[in-house]
Amino acid sequence: MTELKTHSNLMKAIRSGEFVITGELEPERTSNIEPTVHEAIEIKKYCVAANVTDNPKSTVCLSSLAGSYLTQEKSGLEIVYQLTCRDQNRMGLGAAILGANALGLKNILALTGDHNACGDMPKSKPVFDYDSTHLVKLVREMADKRSIEGLALDDDCPDITIHVGGAANPNANPMGPEIMHIQRKAMAGVEFLQTQVVYDIDIAEPFLKEIKDKTGVPVLLGIFPMRGYGVAKGFDEMVPGVSVPKDLLAKFKAVKKSGFEKKEKNEAYRKLNIDFYVPMLKELKKKNLVAGCHIMAVHYPKIFPPLLDALGLQPR
Amino acid sequence: MIITENKPWEEVKQALELHHVKNVVIVACGICAAKVGTGGTEGAAKMKSQLVEHGFNVVTTAVVDEPCDERMTKQAFRKIKDEINEVDAVVSLTCGLGTQAMNTVMREKFPKKVALTALNTVFMGETERFGVYKEGCRACGDCILNETGGVCPITHCAKSMLNGPCGGSVDGKCEVGDYTRPCGWIEIYEALESIDRLDLFLKVREPRNWSESGHQRELNMRDKPAKEEGGDIHD
Ligand code: SF4
Ligand code: SF4
Repeated sequence: MTELKTHSNLMKAIRSGEFVITGELEPERTSNIEPTVHEAIEIKKYCVAANVTDNPKSTVCLSSLAGSYLTQEKSGLEIVYQLTCRDQNRMGLGAAILGANALGLKNILALTGDHNACGDMPKSKPVFDYDSTHLVKLVREMADKRSIEGLALDDDCPDITIHVGGAANPNANPMGPEIMHIQRKAMAGVEFLQTQVVYDIDIAEPFLKEIKDKTGVPVLLGIFPMRGYGVAKGFDEMVPGVSVPKDLLAKFKAVKKSGFEKKEKNEAYRKLNIDFYVPMLKELKKKNLVAGCHIMAVHYPKIFPPLLDALGLQPR
Repeated sequence: MIITENKPWEEVKQALELHHVKNVVIVACGICAAKVGTGGTEGAAKMKSQLVEHGFNVVTTAVVDEPCDERMTKQAFRKIKDEINEVDAVVSLTCGLGTQAMNTVMREKFPKKVALTALNTVFMGETERFGVYKEGCRACGDCILNETGGVCPITHCAKSMLNGPCGGSVDGKCEVGDYTRPCGWIEIYEALESIDRLDLFLKVREPRNWSESGHQRELNMRDKPAKEEGGDIHD
C-alpha cells in the first residue's frame, strides 16, 4: 500500500476528521480578479478552501487556472482549482496540471463539464477527449507515478503535490448509474467528493450511505444558501433536476413581501437559511455521513459567520 | 444508413451562381438518399422542378445506385457523358461521399466541371420509422458496443463519455437538447441491467485512442496477406 501523503489544508482537514467547510468563487467575464479576491478574503476565516469555477455553466469567464492562482496568492485562502474536460484535450489537461503544480495549487476538482450547447458559446467545439474519471486518473498518475499517460515527467520536475476531488449528484434519478459512476471515480483514485446542491435530507441520506458503504470517499455536501427571494426563485426555475422546497420558497417570498427594512429582510433571509440547513447538516454529521459541507454561497459571504456559528464551528 | 437533408434552396442557388452555372445534370443517389427522400427519383424530380422554376436548364436526370462507389459513378457518367459535356455542372443529390466520388471522376473525365451538392450529410443513422432517423454510430474505429449493452456511448452521450453519466442527466434525460433526449448512459445502464451485466457498467474505460481516427482513414484489404485479413477462418 502506498502511504497517504497530504499536501493541502483541505485534505489535512478532511483526514483529521474535523467538519470541513469549503466555499465557492466564480470569476466572471473580466480579467479583473479583484472582486473574487475580495470575496475570498471575506470568507477566508470561515472555510478551509474555496473552489474557483471553470467556465461555469459553459459560459466563457476568466481562466480558472489564472483565477485559482491569483485568488490563492492574493487572498491567502487555499483554492480548489476546478478543471473541466470540455475545453481542452488530454494534452491541455496534463499541461494545466503541471502549471497548477508550478503555481502552488494543491487541489483540483476534476469535472467533465457542462456541455457547450448549454452555455453562451453553443457553436464552439466540445472537446471531451477525457471525462471526469479519466481526469481523476490523470492527476493521480502524475502525483503517484510521475507520468502523463505513461510519458515520464522530467527528472527536474518537483513532485506533483495536488489532491483530486470529484463531483457527485445526490439528485440523480435513477440513482443506480450515479452510484456506479462514483464507484468508478473511486477506483480511479478520487480523494474527496463535493456534491451538487441538495435540499432534502431524505434524498441526501440514502445517497451518502451508499457512497460511504461502496467507496468510503469523504463527501462534502453541497448547499446553496440563498441571499433573497429572487435568487431562490431563480435557482428553483433555472436549475434542472433540483427544486427549492415549496414551503422554504414560500417563506422567502413572505420575507420579500413583508414591510421590513432592507436590513431586517437580510436578517430574516439569513435566519431562514440557517433554520433550514443547520438541522440537516447536524443530522448528517451526527450520522457520520459527511466530512463537511460545500457552501455554494457565491456573492453571499455574509452567510458564513452565522452559519458556522449555528453549526458550532469556530472561525479559523 | 447515411442520412442527408436538403440544403436551403438559397444556398443551392448561391453555389450555382458562385460557379457560374446555368445548365445542369442532376445525379441522385439510389440507395441511402433515395430511402430518405432527398435522392432517388423522388428527390431528383423535386430538385428538377425547383431548378427549372428558378430559370436553370436541366438537361437530364440520373439515379445511380451507390454513387459513393467510384466505379458505379464512372459507369453512370459514361452513359450520360454527352449531357455532362453539354452542361456547366452536375447537381448532386447524394451524401458527401457521393459528391466527392463524382468530383474525383469528373476531374479525370470532365476536366473543369464540378459536381455541386444540394444536400447536407447529417449523420449515420438508424431508421426508427419512415422519416425518423437517429444517429447511431460515429465510426470511431474501436467499437465498444459489446461492453455497453449494444448502446453506443460515443453517439448517444452528448459528451461521448466513456465513463458516464455526467451530472447533467435529469430523470433519464440529457442536458443537451433541453432534456428531451434520453441520456445515453442511462440507456446503457438499463440495457446492461436487462441482461444482468451491470458489472460491465462499473468498468473504468480508458480514454479513446485518436491516433487512427483523428485524421483521414483508409482501408486497403487487398494488399494485406490473407492471414491478417482473417482469411484463414474458413480453412
Ligand atoms: S462504439 Fe459507437 S461510434 Fe464506435 S464503432 Fe461502435 S457504434 Fe460506432
Ligand atoms: S446527460 Fe447523459 S447523455 Fe447527456 S452528456 Fe451527460 S452523460 Fe452524456
